[in-house]
Amino acid sequence: MSPILQAENLSVRFPAGREGWFGPKREVQAVSNVDLSLFAGETLALVGESGSGKTTFARALLGLVGHSGGTMRFDGADIAAMNRTARQAMRRTVQMVFQDPFGSLDPRLTVASIIAEPLRIHNIGSAATRRERVRALLVQVGLPPDAASRYPHQFSGGQRQRIAIARALAPAPRIIIADEPLSALDVSIQSQILNLMAELRDRAGLSYLLISHDLAAVHHLADRVAAMYLGRVVEVAPRDALFDTPAHPYTRALLDAVPRIGAGKRVPGGALQGDIPSPLAPPPGCAFHPRCPRASSVCAVEAPVLRVLAGAHQAACHHPLEIAA
Amino acid sequence: MSAHAEESVSVWHLRWLRLKRDRAALAGAGLLALLLMASESAPIYEAWQGVSGVDADLLSRFDPATAQHWLGSDDAGRDVFARLLRGGQTSLTIGIMGALGASIVGTLIGSISGYFRGRVDMVLMRFTDFMIALPQLPILIILAALDLTKLGFSSEFIRSGSAGYWRIVVIVTLLGWTGVARLVRASTLALAEREFVLAARAQGAPAWWVLGIHIVPNAITPVIVATTIAMGRVILAESGLSFLGVGIQPPATSWGSMLSNAQELITSAPMLAIWPGLLILVSVVAINFLGDGLQAAFDPRSDPR
Amino acid sequence: MTRFLLSRAAGAFVVLMAKSFVIFALIGLMPGDPVDLLMNANPDATPEDIAHLRQLYGVDTPIFERYWHWLTAAVHGDFGFSRLQHRPVWDIVIPALGNTIVLTATAFTIATVIAITLGTIAALKRGTWIERAIGLLAYTGISIPAFWLGLMLIYLFAVILGWLPAGGMPRPEEGIRGIFSHLALPVLTLVIVEIGAPTRYARAAMLEVLGQDYIRTARAKGLSSRRLILKHALRNAMIPVVTIIALGMGNLFSGALLTETIFAWRGMGRLILEAIMGNDYNLALVCLLFTTAAILLANILADVAYTKLDPRIGLGGRRK
Repeated sequence: MSPILQAENLSVRFPAGREGWFGPKREVQAVSNVDLSLFAGETLALVGESGSGKTTFARALLGLVGHSGGTMRFDGADIAAMNRTARQAMRRTVQMVFQDPFGSLDPRLTVASIIAEPLRIHNIGSAATRRERVRALLVQVGLPPDAASRYPHQFSGGQRQRIAIARALAPAPRIIIADEPLSALDVSIQSQILNLMAELRDRAGLSYLLISHDLAAVHHLADRVAAMYLGRVVEVAPRDALFDTPAHPYTRALLDAVPRIGAGKRVPGGALQGDIPSPLAPPPGCAFHPRCPRASSVCAVEAPVLRVLAGAHQAACHHPLEIAA
Repeated sequence: MSAHAEESVSVWHLRWLRLKRDRAALAGAGLLALLLMASESAPIYEAWQGVSGVDADLLSRFDPATAQHWLGSDDAGRDVFARLLRGGQTSLTIGIMGALGASIVGTLIGSISGYFRGRVDMVLMRFTDFMIALPQLPILIILAALDLTKLGFSSEFIRSGSAGYWRIVVIVTLLGWTGVARLVRASTLALAEREFVLAARAQGAPAWWVLGIHIVPNAITPVIVATTIAMGRVILAESGLSFLGVGIQPPATSWGSMLSNAQELITSAPMLAIWPGLLILVSVVAINFLGDGLQAAFDPRSDPR
Repeated sequence: MTRFLLSRAAGAFVVLMAKSFVIFALIGLMPGDPVDLLMNANPDATPEDIAHLRQLYGVDTPIFERYWHWLTAAVHGDFGFSRLQHRPVWDIVIPALGNTIVLTATAFTIATVIAITLGTIAALKRGTWIERAIGLLAYTGISIPAFWLGLMLIYLFAVILGWLPAGGMPRPEEGIRGIFSHLALPVLTLVIVEIGAPTRYARAAMLEVLGQDYIRTARAKGLSSRRLILKHALRNAMIPVVTIIALGMGNLFSGALLTETIFAWRGMGRLILEAIMGNDYNLALVCLLFTTAAILLANILADVAYTKLDPRIGLGGRRK
């Protein structure tokens, strides 16, 4: 099976100003040589602390930030080489749900205009069919059809996230990139939205790229999980493999912070110590080595590459933890 | 729906409620509407009273106030009341057009520079810095005195009555857009990072779409206030230029050009100077009251709840 | 400090150069042929000079070249001749500049003192009729046309009451009395026109300072409110106010231009107007440059005053 969305060796750099007036130009390497694929119908979760480059990676996939290296492919075709028509067709197919349901809906537009905006941008349907579609979508995400004529501020956070999901569903996409779709919501609402996302995926055959630091949500929804640290993918594995026997000490530490998920046995004292280093000056060798309990001298010199440990389980570590084969 | 949803009303409705409580702002708006309507009905008044604010009548120079000439007549026998109405037409519409022109240009340039940033933005900001601390009135006078034939306009156009009018509007627009541009640029920089803008961009919406549908409508609130306040300044600038003789040219008239005329007659016919100046003062005070009221109504911190 | 001043001065110089070019270009677009007018202006010009200058200034010459020629002459102290007065521009500008400084400096000082006083009173008497009256006064100042106000004052004090002269410059034999009587009306006009904005700023700044913690603490410590206001609140509130007034120098100058015209005060404003109306290019150009330079200088002084008065602000212009 070939992936529908694929990043090959993708890097994103941001200018970070100069050091002083005449110092060298500095850059932040937000995403470094990431290889990731999203397959049809699957949910791939991207986990990691804030500042690990998850959001930047997603925005690069959507063309919201420019990438400085590597290739992105959609259905096998290089996105950079696409003409305008093909690119617009791809944008229809890849939709996004943002973190903040209070910031992602234009406060001046009615719910109907918000949900219909992708349809209008992509010139889908007539005004009448769009109106029908909006009503159908509202029902689909569990809102009353008469919500269409109201404004975003008249809804609660969870309802607004439903509106955002309806907007993403409007042009009948195949992929939805959801960037922390739950973190701005009350805990009681989170599971409702999570269930809605699962239901929509099963009904419409959607693929999700789910960005989250909420491991419980990831465990609930994801088929595969990728862990990112300082712009690099450190581990990719099927959900159960990653939750039960993480190979990378970083993934292990992330899991240890939330002790009840997964069946694997836990060694106490594995939690993360210290802060994530500044991306302006990432540590040499393995970027994780200053915080890693298993680091050796080689880790400070040589950056590990992602390699297959067993089946679909990959990790970038010189001293991976033992995994179940 | 939740209780939260039922309680809330639209932003504009709230603003209107706040504005409605501001008596000074309402009085300003009312007065302004009254002045506008009155000056637009100048021809009706002239026809009804059988007088003229334009044609000289040398047999009735300096007439006192009568039932026919409500405020008397001036040194050329023109009806002062009718002339005030005609002058108001010019002064008020120049105020509106000039302020609108400056706001439209400022909004366009400010939003474009804030959205695209980079070099466009740098040039704009340097230019705005440049305009600040320019001695405004002398520059206005030079612009008003420019020989338009040197810029390629035909001399017929320049001699036509509307050229003087539009020249003032254009000058005021040229000098006035920078303030609005700064306001809109600042709002645009903030709005461009908002997720609803990213959402539209992720759809591949073109720049004009993002700017026109999401950014400008959300940045318009400070512009409305700035436009209102600018209107007062434009009226003052126009009256100053016309008073100095480089603004509205006869036979057209504005309150400023009436004052220019009345200056030499201050000892013999002081009322000719008092009326137009009073009307300028009253309109600008009314505009400033309205501007302040809008500012307070649009400022969420002034929300009484 | 020196470094800060130098960098500000360098920046201002660049802006001044840019402005001089724009003004030069604009004046070239005014009615008439600048070459002819320039020729007439210089009584000593020989036919050879004229031919030479024609070549240099000719209409076909690109504007940059003409500007450069003018600039190099100006740098050597040669600002050219006035067409209307047949005198070197320099000899006309200096006395006019003196007269304008007398008028605007007097008005500026009085307006600042009154504005700060009224603003403070308005803040202290918040919610009373006194605050509303001061507010109305400030509104009137912002909204009144300067030239009309001057006209009304002339009508009242010169025509009806006959107390003060309607305009013109004091004559030497009139002594100190003459200076005061001639200054009174133009200064009053400028003060009323300029007082509005700083009064409102002063009120807002005072309200903000009065609401801050350290004032409440001082009050709780038992400092009498009068000493408190003078010593603590006023000083802190006035920093932004003084800055805003100084930044408004361009505005003050526009007011001065109209006021000088109304009262026949022989200052820069009146000179500029005469020069523009009489197509006296050289004079207009030099006057405008002087004015622009003065406004830039006022802005730098405002910055310095701001940094000097407020210890929290470093000379880089940023808050620490």
